[in-house]
Parts: sequence; structure tokens; C-alpha cells
Amino acid sequence: MTIREAADALRARRVSAVELAAAANARISRLNSKLNAFITVTAEQAREEARQADAELAAGRDRGPLHGIPVAVKDLFLTRGVRTTCGSKVYEDFVPAIDAAVVERLRAAGAVMFGKLNMHELAYGITSANPHFGPVRNPWNAEHSPGGSSGGSGAAVAAQMVYAAMGSDTGGSIRIPAAFCGVVGLKPTYGRVSRYGALPLAYSLDHMGPLARTVRDAAMVLNAIAGYDRRDPTSSRHPAVDYIPDDGCSIRRLRIGFPENFYFDHLDPGVESSVRGVFARAQSLGGLVKPVRVPDVAALNAVGRVIQLAEASAVAEPHLECREKFGPDVLALLDQGRLLPATDYINAQRLRRKLSREFDQLWSEVDCLIAPTTPITAPRVGEKTVRLGGRDEDVRLATTRLVRGINVLGLPALSIPCGLASNGLPIGIQIIGPAWEEALILKIGAALEDGGVGIPACPAAEVL
Amino acid sequence: MRDWKAIAKASGIEIDSVEPLEALEAAFRPLVKDLAPGVEPATELRLEEDAE
Repeated sequence: MTIREAADALRARRVSAVELAAAANARISRLNSKLNAFITVTAEQAREEARQADAELAAGRDRGPLHGIPVAVKDLFLTRGVRTTCGSKVYEDFVPAIDAAVVERLRAAGAVMFGKLNMHELAYGITSANPHFGPVRNPWNAEHSPGGSSGGSGAAVAAQMVYAAMGSDTGGSIRIPAAFCGVVGLKPTYGRVSRYGALPLAYSLDHMGPLARTVRDAAMVLNAIAGYDRRDPTSSRHPAVDYIPDDGCSIRRLRIGFPENFYFDHLDPGVESSVRGVFARAQSLGGLVKPVRVPDVAALNAVGRVIQLAEASAVAEPHLECREKFGPDVLALLDQGRLLPATDYINAQRLRRKLSREFDQLWSEVDCLIAPTTPITAPRVGEKTVRLGGRDEDVRLATTRLVRGINVLGLPALSIPCGLASNGLPIGIQIIGPAWEEALILKIGAALEDGGVGIPACPAAEVL
Repeated sequence: MRDWKAIAKASGIEIDSVEPLEALEAAFRPLVKDLAPGVEPATELRLEEDAE
């Protein structure tokens, strides 16, 4: 069931919020020991919130499409009275006194909160093999990684433990688990969704966004969480709109950019074939597929890594004397970030402005860009390298290669599932748009989804 | 190429790995050479009265 179907069923009294919560709790109870998607499950609190949601609907108070819908948030969003670990020993006993802005807005929209999702330690990595809370497993094949850093969010949505989950994306951390777990993931424009109350990884690269079962479900969550927040100094006053694509929306005559350079280099053949199939489908749906050359994405990636190294180490600096509190991969990155000279950080931010101007010119040629989200399907847990195009590549670099640059630009990007590889694992495409054009990329995603681009439900979701 | 291990040691940090720093040295350093002085960093302070 999608959010819309559940919302319709609630209003038609075919189901109650308490029943939806009981079903979600049953799935979590059955599957979490295998998938380790949650660090903290707030089942009792969720039951109470569901009871309240039913009472409000019965009294004629309707908070909108998320009213009574089970959701969960990555464990870096502060939750009042509920432990928030950021997947780290540093915060293992941290019980916040406030809710993050995103949590406030989800609660105001009537969502029923099921707890806190596992993640890569401090959101600083893409495997979600958390050394303190255990590795998250991919619901499609538990021997494989769900991706990260929002790995628990991807796994929980794919396994239908919740209808939607919140993640964060600093170098691909929403889109990667969305692609690896076969769900939809949206990284909105920088400034579109408040970062207030989200523990930071890298201030100028962190984006908050939803993972959901369908494009329209992701849009419903964005409707609830988008908008200006004075408590986030980078929050934008650019007006939020209704992001939910119309039924029967079309991509007819929209210019769909096909990147001739970079994005199709060194791909797994199954991924390449599936993504090329999406362009054929887009064309058959009336889209104008237009080959384009994109600016230097490898340079964007280098800039993004310098900025992330420096900002993440600045955030963690007060805790770095307690070295035993960090996993080895995260500690290595944090140490190296402390060595970067300030000139490198400043020059990375200067390059960011230059490259951003170059990328802006692309939008006079096309309305969006479609590219693979990742060059590979989900690697096995613990796999370090992959062989692509005749060369061995570090799994972490391969996984972030096609997504990181978009964080540097702050542009919106939507990952949707587009096929299954021969190993049975999902493949994702990302639809990248100009700043503030979330409604456009969601419309394109919904039209493709309606037009048959997608995958069957994850088998793990069928267990109950 | 900078000797990142020596820089780390001088900073009182013992590190086993110099990845990604070494890789970034090769990828990032050449980009900086082409930067014109007028290109300002993308970080900015927006004073409240401007932002309102």
C-alpha cells in the first residue's frame, strides 16, 4: 500500500491508524532482527500517536495525507525524549530536549513516528556497517549492503516497515540507499528543508529529504517538511509549492538531458543497460531526449570531498580526543580532515562557485538530466573493491562517484528504481533538476513510474 | 606531492592511511591553478537584516 492508498483507506474507515501502526509494528518485530534497520523502536509511543490520529479524524480534524501514517527518521534527527545517537558512541546516551524541525513538521502533519533508524556512523560513509549498533542489511539480499549513510531508512522503506523515512544526503546518502534498496529517495535543493535539529556532518553539503515507496509518496512527505525556518541560517524563503504530481502527468515535450560524458563511464553492464532503457521509455512517453555534455563532474567530486573532509572534522573536533569512540574508517577520515590547510577549504569553496555557474548554463539546454544513481548494484557487506570497465575501484568511491557532485551544487535530485540486475538487486536512476525545481523532477519521476519504470515490491515485504 | 604522514606526525596525529588525501592532492590541486582572484568562496555570512 502507498501513503495515498493508506490515507484513502483511513478516510473511508476501511482501516484505522491503530491498525496501520499494529501492522508496521508486526513487520518491524519480524524483520528488524535480520535487517537491523532501527536503532530505537518507539512502538508504544507510536500506538499512542495512532490512537490520537484516529480520534482526531473521528472528530473531523484532518491533518492531511500523512495523518496516521507510520514513518521513521534517521537517528541524526533530534527527537524530544528519545535517544539520538547519530550512529555514534559519542552520542550513545544523548536524549534531546527538542525535536528537529523535520520531526516537528512530520508530527504537525499527523505522521505516526516509529523511531530512529540505523545509519553509517556519524553519516560519514556509505555502507551503514555501523561498528556500534551493527550493520544494516539489504532487504533484497541480507548478504548485501543497503548503502548509506541512510541505510536504515532505505531498508525500512523497502521492507515496508514504514511508509516513508527521513534521511540526510551529504555526498549521496539518500540517493545511494534508495538505489540499492529499490525505493524512491529525494534530495531537495539546499535550503528547501530545514537542517535545524539534524546533527551535522558537513554544514554546507547536508541536505534533508525523504525515502518512500513511490514518487508521489515522497512528494507528500516533501509537502509536509518543505519551507522556511529561521532557525536554520541557510534555510531559503523561496516559496514552497504543492509538490504532488497530478494523476496523468506527462513528460511530453520536456527536454530530458542524456549526459554524453562522465555519467556512463565505468558502469556495471547491467546498470548501463537498465538506465539506457529508461531513455527509450522516456522517448516513448513523449520526452525529448537530448544528448548534452556536462561540466567537469570529477572536479565537483574533488571539491566536495575537500569541503566534506574539512567541515566534518571541524564538527567532530571536540570529541576527537576520545579516539576509542570512533570506528576505524570514520576516524581515518576525521584525522585526515584535520590536516587540510585552510587555503584548500577556501579554494574548494571558490571552485564550488565557479563550477556552479558553469553547471547553471546546462539548464538553458535541458529541463532535467537523467543519469544512473550508482555505477553498481549493492555490494556485499564488507566488500572493498569492485571491478568496473576493466579496473578495480574502491567501493566507496564507485558508490559516490555519480552523486557527490550534485551536493556541491545544491541541486535537487530524485532517485527512482528502474530495474533489477541479473543478481536480483535493484538499479536506480537519478533525475537532476535546476534549483527549486523539485516539483518538476517529481513530475518527471511520477510520469516515468506511471509509464512502467520501476521494480516489483521487495520480497522481504511479502513475509507478513 | 605533500608528505601527509609527516604532516600528520608533526601535528601529533598518527595515521595509517593517507587516502583520500593523496588522491585529492592529484585531483584537486590542479583545479586551483586556474582560479581567477575575483572568484569568491561560496560560503557567505548573511546578516539577519539582509536575510529578512
